[in-house]
Amino acid sequence: MSNEIDNLTLERFDASASARPMQTRHRAFSLARVRAITVNTLTELTRLKVFYVLLVFALLLIGSSIFMAQFTFQQEFQILKDVSLGAMSIFTSLLAIVATARLIPQDIEDRTVYTILAKPVPRLEYLLGKIAGVLLLLAISTLVMSAVFVLVLYMREQAVLHTTIRQMSAAPREQLDAAVRAVRASAFNIDMVPGITIIYLKACLLAALTLFVSTFATTNIFTIVVMAFIYFIGHLQATAREYWLQAHASGLITKIFLAVVALLFPDLQAFNLVDDIVAGTAISLGLFFKTALLGIFYTAIYTLLAAFVFYGKEL
Amino acid sequence: MTEPAIAVRGLTKIFPVPFHRQSITAVRDLDLRVEPGEVFGLLGPNGSGKSTTLKIILGLVSPTRGRTEIFGRDSRLVESRVAVGFLPENPYFYKYLTGEETLRFFGRLCGLGGARLRERINELLDLVGLTKARKQRLGTYSKGMLQRIGLAQALIHHPKLLVLDEPTAGVDPAGSREIRDLIRDLRHRGITVLLSSHLLAQAQEICDRVGILADGALVREGRLEELIAIENQTELVLENASGTLLNEIEGLAARSNARVIERRKSTTTLERLFLEATKK
Ligand SMILES: Nc1ncnc2c1ncn2[C@@H]1O[C@H](COP(=O)(O)OP(=O)(O)OP(=O)(O)O)[C@@H](O)[C@H]1O
Ligand SMILES: [Mg+2]
Repeated sequence: MSNEIDNLTLERFDASASARPMQTRHRAFSLARVRAITVNTLTELTRLKVFYVLLVFALLLIGSSIFMAQFTFQQEFQILKDVSLGAMSIFTSLLAIVATARLIPQDIEDRTVYTILAKPVPRLEYLLGKIAGVLLLLAISTLVMSAVFVLVLYMREQAVLHTTIRQMSAAPREQLDAAVRAVRASAFNIDMVPGITIIYLKACLLAALTLFVSTFATTNIFTIVVMAFIYFIGHLQATAREYWLQAHASGLITKIFLAVVALLFPDLQAFNLVDDIVAGTAISLGLFFKTALLGIFYTAIYTLLAAFVFYGKEL
Repeated sequence: MTEPAIAVRGLTKIFPVPFHRQSITAVRDLDLRVEPGEVFGLLGPNGSGKSTTLKIILGLVSPTRGRTEIFGRDSRLVESRVAVGFLPENPYFYKYLTGEETLRFFGRLCGLGGARLRERINELLDLVGLTKARKQRLGTYSKGMLQRIGLAQALIHHPKLLVLDEPTAGVDPAGSREIRDLIRDLRHRGITVLLSSHLLAQAQEICDRVGILADGALVREGRLEELIAIENQTELVLENASGTLLNEIEGLAARSNARVIERRKSTTTLERLFLEATKK
């Protein structure tokens, strides 16, 4: 009986060992491994049902658009955009912080990190995979929210166009065309694309910062409280800094101090281009690229800082 | 001289205790060599430093002093883990993955993929007896099933060295028997195994060499049969022996300078009894 088992397992092992050469050579950095961790992180977050946030977003938009029929169409579109982009900014930020905060601490607590790092996986790859998973989740969420937003806006636009055409059926051709153009112009404007991109990058930055905080935090609550704190300071700090610069002469020490503050509390207000978009003011290409670069820079820096702490961490 | 599979030299690990002055010394000045192809058992009571030693060998915990190497490569280097499979104690994986997905994930981390990985997953699920549970989420697995998937995960990339922290903990007697048979098989294939345990009977059955840790220090180390042999005693097991024969033998013994210490009926082991009774 026991012999039978032995022979069976023996054969299986021989077959598998002889059919192909042993190990492929180890690579110091492998995108395939990062991808495996990314996919896993995305699966984890999906199966935790974080996407329910998106449902709330859709309900909020559809709900609020029902109440707005009483305004003029300019007002209506403006409020719709204001609410949507504002909600998008808050929801992606919230998602970024909540989804990232538990990622690493949970792995350490459950000791899954042992099994992963006992494989030939550098710690940097592990962290990159994790953050990439969150960034992907945020990208999907942002796209879905944008789609809901565009859809609701489009439907309202069509409704308004429909009534306009009906009301002005007797008016001359040019007048009707002008009215239609006015409706179209106040509904969609191209600046929504850079605006949403910046909202996404702000969420990325917050995710990376949360990852960094979570590498030395002792509890998830701590991470979330710290992030809430940073979130508010981040929105206020630009004003505070201007005030400070006015009050104090800008010596070298002041500048260094302010640079450190800017690193710890990123200027989140700079990522608020929503007001401009809602007002219909064009976002200059220069401002967009500057803000986008700032977002990418912060995301990269925080990820590297997280890696730095994680390398020295006793698991 | 062949290169050892594992070399531990002068290893000490001190855990600081936060907010206290004293600290915990988990491992004290440990020297250890595991030769390629042998099964080495690290034994010791709870808290004696077995798991800590294994984690340091795998580069998961950094040593306070001393160094560890796997096939001549420093444990701190990621490459040292290329040919190693590790089963942590009380393994716990991602609850939201199924058994199959878990193996796929770990396979990918080892650079496997495609048909080759799929085949290997089937092989391993079969080997650890989880084929039926392959589509089930690990959140619903029992302790023994987790241990089995942990073992499969450790074997996924055909490692040359297996490090198992209490491989049979929580596994039923039949499963524990299978795991021990598997370890023997692996040894026949030239795979080195380092395992920790405090189940002495089981360790005795499969280990070539053992080391006993007490309070972080290695107090005994050597080949099993040498360590446990009682040099001046011999056992004799007879079948169908009559009472007269036994008395004669005792008489013979008394006439030479030997002494019969004990005379008893042979018993089966509880394990064998259990396996007989629960056999399907
Ligand atoms: N991360 C840690 N921080 C502080 N002390 C630790 C840590 N890990 C282990 N220890 C201490 O080190 C000692 C050895 O622990 P270890 O887990 O290695 O024991 P073990 O031999 O595996 O025990 P068991 O048989 O119960 O698994 C214990 O006193 C434990 O409290
Ligand atoms: Mg242990």
